[in-house]
Amino acid sequence: MQTKTNKLSITSYLNFAQLLEVYRGNHEENRLFALKYKSPDKKPIKMLLLWAKEYRFHLTQGLNSKAFVAYIGTTTQLLAFLFLLTGFLTGLGLLSYSGDAPVNITYYLFFAMIVPLLSMLVSLFTMFSRGGVAEFFSLFLSLHWLDKLVSFLPLESKKTFSKEVLLPDELTKWMMIERMQRISLLFSIGLVMALIFVVVVKDIAFGWSTTLDISVNSFHSFISTIALFWKDILPSAVPSLELIEISQYFRLGERLDKELVANANQLGAWWQFLAMATVFYAIVLRFIFWIFSYYGYQKILHKELLSLDGVTTLLREFSTPFVSTEATQGEKHLEIVKEDNLQVQNFMRKSYPNILGWNFSKDEILLANDSKEITYSTVASVGGSNTFLEDENKAKSISKTALLYVKSWEPPTMDFVDFLELLIENKKVDTIHIYPLGTVGRYYESDAKDISIWKRKIQGLKSEKVWIIDD
Amino acid sequence: MIDIVNDKYSYPKFAVVGHPNKGKSSIVSSLALDDSVQIGDTPGTTQVKRGFPLTVDSKVIYELFDTPGFQRARRILSWLKEQEPVSADKRPKVVARFIDEHREDKRYLDEIELLEPIINGAGIIYVVDASKPYGPEYEVEMEILRWTGQPSMAILNLIGNEDYRDEWKMALGQYFRLVRTFNPVKAIFSDHMGLLESMAQLKEEWTVSIKVAIGILNNLHQQKVEQSVHAIVSNIQSTLSYVYVQEIKAEKATKEEQKSAKEKYRQEIMAQEKKMEKEIEFIWNHRSIGKVENLVIFEDIGLFSKESASIFGLSENELIITGASAGAVGGLSIDAAFGGNTLFLASIFGGIIGGVGAMVGFGNLYEVKILGKNLGKRELTVGPMKNLNFPYILLGRSLYHASIVAKRSHALRENIELEDEEFFTEQIIDSDTRKKLEKLHVKLRKGDEPSSEMIEEYHKIVLQSFLRLLR
Repeated sequence: MQTKTNKLSITSYLNFAQLLEVYRGNHEENRLFALKYKSPDKKPIKMLLLWAKEYRFHLTQGLNSKAFVAYIGTTTQLLAFLFLLTGFLTGLGLLSYSGDAPVNITYYLFFAMIVPLLSMLVSLFTMFSRGGVAEFFSLFLSLHWLDKLVSFLPLESKKTFSKEVLLPDELTKWMMIERMQRISLLFSIGLVMALIFVVVVKDIAFGWSTTLDISVNSFHSFISTIALFWKDILPSAVPSLELIEISQYFRLGERLDKELVANANQLGAWWQFLAMATVFYAIVLRFIFWIFSYYGYQKILHKELLSLDGVTTLLREFSTPFVSTEATQGEKHLEIVKEDNLQVQNFMRKSYPNILGWNFSKDEILLANDSKEITYSTVASVGGSNTFLEDENKAKSISKTALLYVKSWEPPTMDFVDFLELLIENKKVDTIHIYPLGTVGRYYESDAKDISIWKRKIQGLKSEKVWIIDD
Repeated sequence: MIDIVNDKYSYPKFAVVGHPNKGKSSIVSSLALDDSVQIGDTPGTTQVKRGFPLTVDSKVIYELFDTPGFQRARRILSWLKEQEPVSADKRPKVVARFIDEHREDKRYLDEIELLEPIINGAGIIYVVDASKPYGPEYEVEMEILRWTGQPSMAILNLIGNEDYRDEWKMALGQYFRLVRTFNPVKAIFSDHMGLLESMAQLKEEWTVSIKVAIGILNNLHQQKVEQSVHAIVSNIQSTLSYVYVQEIKAEKATKEEQKSAKEKYRQEIMAQEKKMEKEIEFIWNHRSIGKVENLVIFEDIGLFSKESASIFGLSENELIITGASAGAVGGLSIDAAFGGNTLFLASIFGGIIGGVGAMVGFGNLYEVKILGKNLGKRELTVGPMKNLNFPYILLGRSLYHASIVAKRSHALRENIELEDEEFFTEQIIDSDTRKKLEKLHVKLRKGDEPSSEMIEEYHKIVLQSFLRLLR
């Protein structure tokens, strides 16, 4: 998933992004994970990479990073070799010496110093610009065009990842800048190799020539400025005024200057300066640039990883205690009985031989009778503070029809059902009317929902004796 | 034999008990922030006890038990009293013996389910419906609970419209240490915390745990607020900068292609809003909200509708002030007919120039462009949203939805209707604040990446507005 040291790389970035697409865990899991790996040095990136390692098994499909890294690796290696070769061949070309005329150091300096410096400047502009401006500057980078050229090659690995891997623009930019420094470094190394090779195998005379009206002194100052960085360490690599003077040649005349020819043995001394100029400006500076771009690339890789969709949540879940208030076990759901074949009457009789009040006091029963204008023979309070034995006796003592007042808002308990079953079992009782009453404050009017509860409960008893009054 | 737990170091447990259908499950659902609890108006909805532990990283802080209601309380009290008389300190053992001896007796399944956690050390939360009159039949239940010897409190739940709290308080005060009113359906977060404070007073040893729980729940609430604001701001960012891209073959897009692209653009924006709503419902633990019939708050009020604009958009004057002060774009155009005929979804493209208003239609809400592409293909792009009022409509709707969800009790199973209130957004976000918001809107409209400071400021404003709505 990632390197052994848990260091962030493009591979770990791509794998992490791919994992986030298919799996993000939940707060509980992620918090547990964070607690498992809790230690003071666990930085966000490190934690994220550890998390990715822990859950990598969710990536059942092939890793996009594999093809991408293979493609980038192959193209970079290919280009690196080409740049090294080009550098070497360019060096050979620039230092080609037939003996007719000296090798013009200004040409060499242009490729060994000016071109790399310009390239580094463009890299610098690209690094510190964004969007369209960065894109514009990147047009001046050779790698931009070389990558485009390579992309036309029918490489199998490119086909595999091209649809899946969409890198952020900034990351793509820094990746290219970093690769650019690497391959440019190889170009310069090729150049130095060519210089050393030519110097070793050939006796070269160097000279300088320009159309511009530049005096020897000015050119000496210019050369001295270039050599400023190594003049104290390697004085022999700083051309003297005398060398510069004898090295100058002009375009007119078929033959070389006599002085130039006379001092031909000294003209080869330039090579040290040229080698140092290449090493310092094209290699050392480029190396510093590479370090800088690598640091920038790593920084942007970190930034882009942290801005991936889902990372903020993941980090929050790592650091936030998981609080749960939910039940640990499932719920046993109650089956609601449908209302059918209900024994419901929508009127009451005017007279009942027995009136019982479940959880009503005797006074409350009498008040209800008054209100409903019902005449009666006996009235009794059942339930409430009566004992079950008292209720049993009352249930056994009545006969014929009984009206049973109940509190409509109090759903029937099994205590009530037990009493009702005693009444049903009493063979002297032929009809039981259950009348759910509302509160006195509402003049005994009940809610339909409460009546419905009573109906369903009574229906469950399946007794032909019991009727619900719903007036 | 059941062990009577007196371990002062164990976490506090509370059994919510009472008569059937008095809102025990509603109270548990509300306190446990869990809307999956089955709540029904049919007695016996809860058939077995169910524990709702408050856990932090798997450590239980306290546990609530939802229990079935009393069914045969008289028989149990009768059994308890029939036993050899014991002193008050031995009574809990008699209750424990009842449970042991009747475990296989189907008649007492409910009572055993509700008494067992109490005998195992749970505090008692006795729930009554104080919108219905007090009845002496409750005294049997209260007496049984007194026999258990556990710390207890009573909750007056007002299910209906009547209020009998005074008579209930007179009776309950004789049995319970604390009597509190708590309506689980209407309770907001501060009510929950108030109830927990009361529960902390039940037993000295529980105070610390409950105080810790209050702190945890306060933090959790704060996190949920932050996460909701994050979701809202992210959605505004992505919606306002969203661009729909469709490939076209011809030089110009046909009317049908334009129409279809605009429709897809709108659908995507609506889908993003729905996704954000779901995310907010998830944050607030309203997992079953979608199952409630007609609960979808904006069901009939589409994001692009006239109603939405009149409720959540800015008034014409405020729109001009906001647009002009923000210096959004050059020129003013008021879309007086958003969706054909609304004044409030006016588009102001820029500062006021001589008070000239140009009417633009629905199609001008967002930019439609044809862009050239490689290999002769062309793209039709719709977006980003140019309408000046749209961000306020989206923000207003998001804040409204989030506040409804955040304040919604987990015990509520009913629909909430959108109040007919004009200029909701204008009321919660003043003109000065809107100018700050407008900076981000302008940036997103241009398709530019806003700075993190800008998003942070926007986040702060949305947070303040959201907190105001939660009060």
